[in-house]
Amino acid sequence: MAVQNSGYAGPRTLKMCGELGGPTLRGMRKVFVTGAASWTGGHLIRRLETRPDIRVFAVDDATPRVKFSSPFEKLSLERLALARYMLEVEPDAIVHLQSVHRRTEEGRNNDSEERIVGALALFGAIERLDSVKSVIVKSDTAVYGANPRNPSIMSENTRPQGSPTRYQRDLTEMERFVTETANRHDTIRYTILRFAPIFGPQVANPFSRYLTLPMVPTLLGFDPRIQVTHERDAVAALEHALDNDTQGTFNVAADGQLYLSRMLRLGRRLPQPLPRRMFESAMKGLARANIAVPSHIQALLKHGMVSDTTAMRSEFGFEPEWTCRQTTLHAYGLIEEARP
Amino acid sequence: MTRHELESLTKAELMGMARDLGVAGRSRMSKVQLVDALESLVADHGDAESDHVEVVDGFPPINLPGISPQDRARAKARREALTERLAALVDTTRHCPWTSIEGHPCGLPVLVGSDRCGLHTPKTIEDMAVPLAGHLGFGTWPTLWRHLTLATYDIDSFGLDPVVAEMAWHILNGMYYDYFRVEVEGIEHVPMSGGAVLAANHGGAALPYDGAMLALSVLNEAEKPRRVRVIGTEIFNMLPTVSHLYRKVGAAYAARDDARELLNRGHLLGVFPEGERGFMKPVWEAYRVGRLGRGGFAEIAAEADVPIVPVAIIGSEEVHPAVMVSKRLARLVRFFFPDQRVEEIAVALNPVPLPIRWKIRFLPPVMASEDGAPPDALELLERSEDVRHSIQAALDDMLATRRTAF
Repeated sequence: MAVQNSGYAGPRTLKMCGELGGPTLRGMRKVFVTGAASWTGGHLIRRLETRPDIRVFAVDDATPRVKFSSPFEKLSLERLALARYMLEVEPDAIVHLQSVHRRTEEGRNNDSEERIVGALALFGAIERLDSVKSVIVKSDTAVYGANPRNPSIMSENTRPQGSPTRYQRDLTEMERFVTETANRHDTIRYTILRFAPIFGPQVANPFSRYLTLPMVPTLLGFDPRIQVTHERDAVAALEHALDNDTQGTFNVAADGQLYLSRMLRLGRRLPQPLPRRMFESAMKGLARANIAVPSHIQALLKHGMVSDTTAMRSEFGFEPEWTCRQTTLHAYGLIEEARP
Repeated sequence: MTRHELESLTKAELMGMARDLGVAGRSRMSKVQLVDALESLVADHGDAESDHVEVVDGFPPINLPGISPQDRARAKARREALTERLAALVDTTRHCPWTSIEGHPCGLPVLVGSDRCGLHTPKTIEDMAVPLAGHLGFGTWPTLWRHLTLATYDIDSFGLDPVVAEMAWHILNGMYYDYFRVEVEGIEHVPMSGGAVLAANHGGAALPYDGAMLALSVLNEAEKPRRVRVIGTEIFNMLPTVSHLYRKVGAAYAARDDARELLNRGHLLGVFPEGERGFMKPVWEAYRVGRLGRGGFAEIAAEADVPIVPVAIIGSEEVHPAVMVSKRLARLVRFFFPDQRVEEIAVALNPVPLPIRWKIRFLPPVMASEDGAPPDALELLERSEDVRHSIQAALDDMLATRRTAF
């Protein structure tokens, strides 16, 4: 318990929280959002701010990309200060967007300790709090991994094959924390949303950075099936999870799927098929140019993966607005709105 | 000789006659089967003209390797019949009004009884292969290529790309009609709606032509050109180029979940339950159906409550006759590709497939569970043995009447 590591100055926020948690806020739900600096986090908070019944407390270790007016604390996920801050806020709902360290998602984190300790501390704090009613966690369809022995469609219960990548392993472990915490406390309702790679005109993640390169290196002889989620649908799905009393794990993805070659042709990008060795060195070059393509995405670019979204419709009750094809066109700036 | 005279001979005498006449598979036949096989042959010899063997330009009444002018004429006639049958599915006078979101018009002819073309009628195209431009042919490829590059249509979750599948259909038809001259019997046993498992014997040693021919036989001969979704091993997922092409033509990986999902969607599922073991057979063991895996196909058929149609395929074993089956070669392959699960590799000497005459016989469908109750493991194994025996009997029957492989 390294208290001196704490980046959070207690009294100021304590006082603020005391004021905010006063009688005027009776009946308002307090939502605690981690990973608020990301595009998805920022837009989710802005959407929640427009609603009178919700008060947002945001946390991240980076400066937010999207401006919002809710209280924001710059706390790192792996510091215990974040958990302590949460204990003081006493939120009703937690939206855990930065579930795995951002550097792991980008394939640059080799420190095995750092990767998951944040989630461990967070769920430890959730166990101590009695106020928490629901935990919404953003996961990734990368938990299935892309493997030639996987079935063509991955449903929520499908057991993935092959050896997992680091990101995949961390996600699996984090999801285990969530379900175990929820199982110990039957008052806590959890929703794990496994998003297909989020894509759109504004969002920036390793996959979208790769897809919007002017010349895209692909693996010669492989044409994976790719499924994406539109950035706005991702935000809408998280809000839907806050509003509805569903519990469980759900895949979230746009309708349909596209072959990578077709996707790049739709976006008028030039695919550059390279043999395996050259492809690998191209990936290393990109990493040096700060456009890292992590190993879980490299596996996706070889074998492709499609997840089953029937549970998203039937149980979770969410209907994405954008199809896969529309998302691609929108992301490359070729259409403005999704119309039928 | 009449049947009565044949029956009065001993089995050894019948076997001698069968050897003289070159009846294949004679060593495995019972006396009754020998009489059945010999009856038509002996009668043929007695008649001056016969239905089975045509005497052409003084050639001996045995098929020689190669494609004769008669074969070419017959292939042309069959292609024309197919074109006529397919033309009835599409209304070329009307055009699809669909326009993509970025403004590309479709312009393909519409399906009969619908106001959309094959590409933009959801779900039809996954089960039925409708000629998108009205007919098959290289002339339609520029139109198809336009849709391919603009990606104006959806692929299904398994990766079926109707445009690539149609191109492959047209190309492989050359092999089906002109080179292998496939003849199909009992196509009426393939159901024209709902799911079914087509379980066939595997053979071939080099390339799995039998999967393609099985799918084409239903496309070309059945009343409706239904797609057969053939499932194969993970090696197809690993090989460059093959990995996406085999998905695009409608095949899938033989995972239980995939097979189940395909049947739930009401597709025809093509399986080779012998698996790699059936594939890696030396030529002297040809057409001996091995154990049908662990009966998984029967289990899946029982779960989905669909019939199993046993299919006997003749011709696949001789296309690339395997002269040896090597474990050492497999070890060598594993050394370079450690994640491959090859145990044996069959070696064929001919790089070009031989022009074998194929025959595919669809047998009457059987239900995995007869009384509708979920069958137990023993019942499933029995059912899979039944299927194996019926395929073997059909193979023996077809081999007995075949004089040469060509």
